Amino acid sequence: MRAATWEMRSFLGASAAIAVAFVLALAYLASSTGVATAGYEAQRLQATRDELRRRNTLLELELAKLDAPARIDSEAKRLGLVRVPFIPVVQAEPLTARK
Amino acid sequence: MAGISATRLRTIFALFAVLSIVLSARVVYWQTVARGGLLERARGQVVSDEVIPAQRGTIRDRSGAILAATVELRSLYAIPSRVKDKPAAARSLGVLLGRDAAPILERLTSGGEWVFIQRRLPETTSEAIAKVRIDGLGFIKEPKRLYPNEDLAAHALGFVNDDGVGQGGVEGWYDEVLRGVNGTLVVERDPADRSIAVGLREAVAPRHGADVTLTIDLVVQTSAERELRAAVERDRAASGAIVVIDPRDGAIRAMASYPTFHPAGIAAADPASMRDRAIAWPYEPGSVMKVVTMAAGIETGVVTPTTTYEDRGYADIGGRRLLNALGRAWGPTTMTQVLERSANAGAVFVGAKLGGQRLSDAIRAFGFGTRTGVDLAGEANGLVRPLAEWYPVDVGTAAFGQGLTSTPLQLAVAYAAIANGGVIVRPYVVASWRDADGEHRTAPAAVRRAVSAGTASALRDMLVSAVDNGLAQGARVPGFSVGGKTGTAQIPSPDGRYIDDDYISTFAGFFPAVDPTFVAVIVLERPRSKLFGTVTAMSTFRAVAQDTLRYARIQPDRKP
Repeated sequence: MRAATWEMRSFLGASAAIAVAFVLALAYLASSTGVATAGYEAQRLQATRDELRRRNTLLELELAKLDAPARIDSEAKRLGLVRVPFIPVVQAEPLTARK
Repeated sequence: MAGISATRLRTIFALFAVLSIVLSARVVYWQTVARGGLLERARGQVVSDEVIPAQRGTIRDRSGAILAATVELRSLYAIPSRVKDKPAAARSLGVLLGRDAAPILERLTSGGEWVFIQRRLPETTSEAIAKVRIDGLGFIKEPKRLYPNEDLAAHALGFVNDDGVGQGGVEGWYDEVLRGVNGTLVVERDPADRSIAVGLREAVAPRHGADVTLTIDLVVQTSAERELRAAVERDRAASGAIVVIDPRDGAIRAMASYPTFHPAGIAAADPASMRDRAIAWPYEPGSVMKVVTMAAGIETGVVTPTTTYEDRGYADIGGRRLLNALGRAWGPTTMTQVLERSANAGAVFVGAKLGGQRLSDAIRAFGFGTRTGVDLAGEANGLVRPLAEWYPVDVGTAAFGQGLTSTPLQLAVAYAAIANGGVIVRPYVVASWRDADGEHRTAPAAVRRAVSAGTASALRDMLVSAVDNGLAQGARVPGFSVGGKTGTAQIPSPDGRYIDDDYISTFAGFFPAVDPTFVAVIVLERPRSKLFGTVTAMSTFRAVAQDTLRYARIQPDRKP
């Protein structure tokens, strides 16, 4: 009985140690795989971010082109608009005095 | 077994033992002595050592509008061995790229393992090509400097060459600020060329170039360039330049040269068009220099605005007779009228009273003969000969702007001194730049006092009278006070004489004259219209002044 108990204990001890080692190995593998996957995901996101930044710069440049005074000037001419030779400015002082 | 003798067994055992020892020794060698070399070779297969390029900074106008920016565009390459039907691929690409298919096919059949088809494609084109999905084609991204306003402010901006180095203008002067510093990345990569997150990774981040903000105003610049181009074309002039600066601090609001070029298409540009005439064109300025002579006269007390002399249409000095324009005699003439009528004899009268030393000192005090110090590449000095080299007649000719040279920017700085109360300011084109350390602002710099505030005030009144009552009436702006002066100068030939019928026409002025906010100088080379182009120069000044005043929302100071 004593011998059986000792053998049983040894068996259980060894089994537990193997199980713990197995679980630890699995955990390590899972963690390594997780880090690698996260790394690839980070890289993909980085590439997406860079592409979005690039497209944003292209859009900003497009906007600058459309906002260019020279383009607006030529569009206005194309639409038949003409430049006002003189813009009358209402002086504030006489209006204030009248009030 | 019985047939194998003990000796044979021993021999076989010894052989295996020796082999084991040799193999073990070899393993020990590879694991110890040659370990480094093996690791290096293994590392070389999976580790990539690459440069992370720094992004070149953006250039903006004073309101934040983009004038130049760098963006990565896709370049199309081919691995010809993987392109199945080369003629069909060349035809498709020819249509999409808007090019002849023959040179594309030539590249595909050149025998190269890897060839560029076209670099830095417009985004729409590269997207269209990507959709076609031709085997053996691919894209890599390459940086490209883009200028959304095309040739606007080309000379002030400069350009970036194929090596990414800025040349001319702001791109050249501020190249180190704009360029930044490249970073490096050492990383292990998997067979799909993805970096391994748990592997080796050594990175030095790039320091991107600073974003630069100019003093140039896109609206004023557009107006200046439009009017300059129209003036040059209308008068069939050889070239022209225009400068608009704020006299209070020297900030350049507009600066243009014509003919011009497109900074993004430098390979196709005419070299003559790349010269920035505003800062690198020294020419004889002519009568606009009478203002400097008059400033010296008033400052030293030899004349006042009301001092009168008898104008006979000429003046004798140094044994030479110097004539008024068209030889016209004006009779009794005040100093104010000298500027109104642009009388050469009057300028000689003041010059003679001053003498060479004081006139030469005044010319140099206003900044002629030395660079203004503007923060742009390629500025010229202009030429003012040392006094020891002056002949007696030079006192007379220098008094009305002959025998010396000036750039349009130097003239603008001199007129700015008159407009701001007598102080020479250093002109500048970069207002600030922003990098990782924060914002760096350019501090406006007063260089020296050229004349007293009283003299500057008297000159402003005289120049306003020149526009209101004199030859410069073409520069009047309804509703605003304007001061200014015309100048028509002959062009010297290589043999020291002047070329017949070729002139350089200038108008320099400030507005609104009661509290000058802008100084503008317009120069036209060899205009072909009547009156040597002065009318065109004045009308160009007026148009730019009207646009600028309207845009700056400056209240009129007169009844129109």
